[in-house]
Amino acid sequence: MPTSSDILNETLGRVASGDRQAFEVLYRASSTKLYGVVFRIMRSKAAAEDVLQEVYATIWRRAGSFDAAKGQAISWMSMIARNRALDEIRKRSSDNVDIDSIAEPAGDTEHPMEKAERSEGLRKLMTCLSGLEPEKREMIMLAYYHGASREALAVKYAAPTPTIKSWLRRSLIQLRSCLES
Amino acid sequence: MSDPDDIDMIAAEYALGTLDRAEREAAALRRTQDHALERAIQRWETLLAPLNEAAPPMTPSADLLDRILARLQLTDSASRTRAAEVVVLQTRLRRWRTGAFALGALAACLVVAIGARESMRLTEPRNFVAVMQKDSVSPAFIVSVDLDTRALTIRAVAADAQPGKSYELWLVNETLGAPRSLGLLRAEGLTIGPRLANYAPAIIENATYAVSLEPERGSPTGAPTGPVLFSGKLVATGL
Repeated sequence: MPTSSDILNETLGRVASGDRQAFEVLYRASSTKLYGVVFRIMRSKAAAEDVLQEVYATIWRRAGSFDAAKGQAISWMSMIARNRALDEIRKRSSDNVDIDSIAEPAGDTEHPMEKAERSEGLRKLMTCLSGLEPEKREMIMLAYYHGASREALAVKYAAPTPTIKSWLRRSLIQLRSCLES
Repeated sequence: MSDPDDIDMIAAEYALGTLDRAEREAAALRRTQDHALERAIQRWETLLAPLNEAAPPMTPSADLLDRILARLQLTDSASRTRAAEVVVLQTRLRRWRTGAFALGALAACLVVAIGARESMRLTEPRNFVAVMQKDSVSPAFIVSVDLDTRALTIRAVAADAQPGKSYELWLVNETLGAPRSLGLLRAEGLTIGPRLANYAPAIIENATYAVSLEPERGSPTGAPTGPVLFSGKLVATGL
């Protein structure tokens, strides 16, 4: 029996050939996932739905550039969604983002799934994340899931923005060496 | 910005999302021409991508798909596609009327198994979908159920209105005995079904959903009387 990701990959392939019904099936199968990714960053229903419209328009137009040899369809689509949301939130970032208003604290997103349900990749990433100091880990989570900017993190952790930048970079390097060890 | 370490760190923060607006826009532009940056971004994105798995799904507005289709101007070509498939459906209906096939054998029951990995948190939407297809590539109806609110919606994708006939949706589960009618379906657009409040989640989740062709006002007997055209089972859409 084909796995769910095989079927999604195949559906995306049909979208690439202009199959409108495949596009609808793809939307039904992926929109709650992508909306979750986008909503956490945009933090408003209207803004998140505007972004999601653009995301699916991009998926429709660029489906042909998806390469199943390089990864899963859902990862490819999630990346488009996340990048689009980040582009948009950075454009608005002149208004001071108050991270403490985030309804879902990073601690909750850290372990939202039962361990058994995690993929090998996620398990390994979580293990490596737990090797970071708690504050540094939280910053990475807030940035990844909620699009927190360096400035917003600077306010939350009462540190200068350049310090936040170097903490983030050091954390990412530490993460990568853990993952690649 | 040509130092490899710089490129690596720009890529890392691009993937994490913490570049400021100017840096992000510059990186997005530069990656289209600078292969080293493009590769570095892809590497960092892949490294962090498993985090997306852990992000719980959320449900957007029900009409968002229609807004997207309208924006992509796919609604017109969609009706053309439908017209072509209606021919297939009509051909099949004629065969059914001549009794050339046993009813059961005609029910295409392909389900798109979209992944059953679901968030464990009870507050998350628990959405399921059954794709009713007449062959491996042409969904006719898409049945969606939100298990928390027990809301049922059915979208007609490529069903054809039959003069004097109606499509009726059935819930079939051994534990219930006879199939239960879930009402008549519109042959186009969206049908908001009845709330499935009378059924236990396990029954809703494990049932087979079937569509039969009935007299205009629905089955006169309370059980399917016409041919079962489509059937399918629900799969979770949480991914």
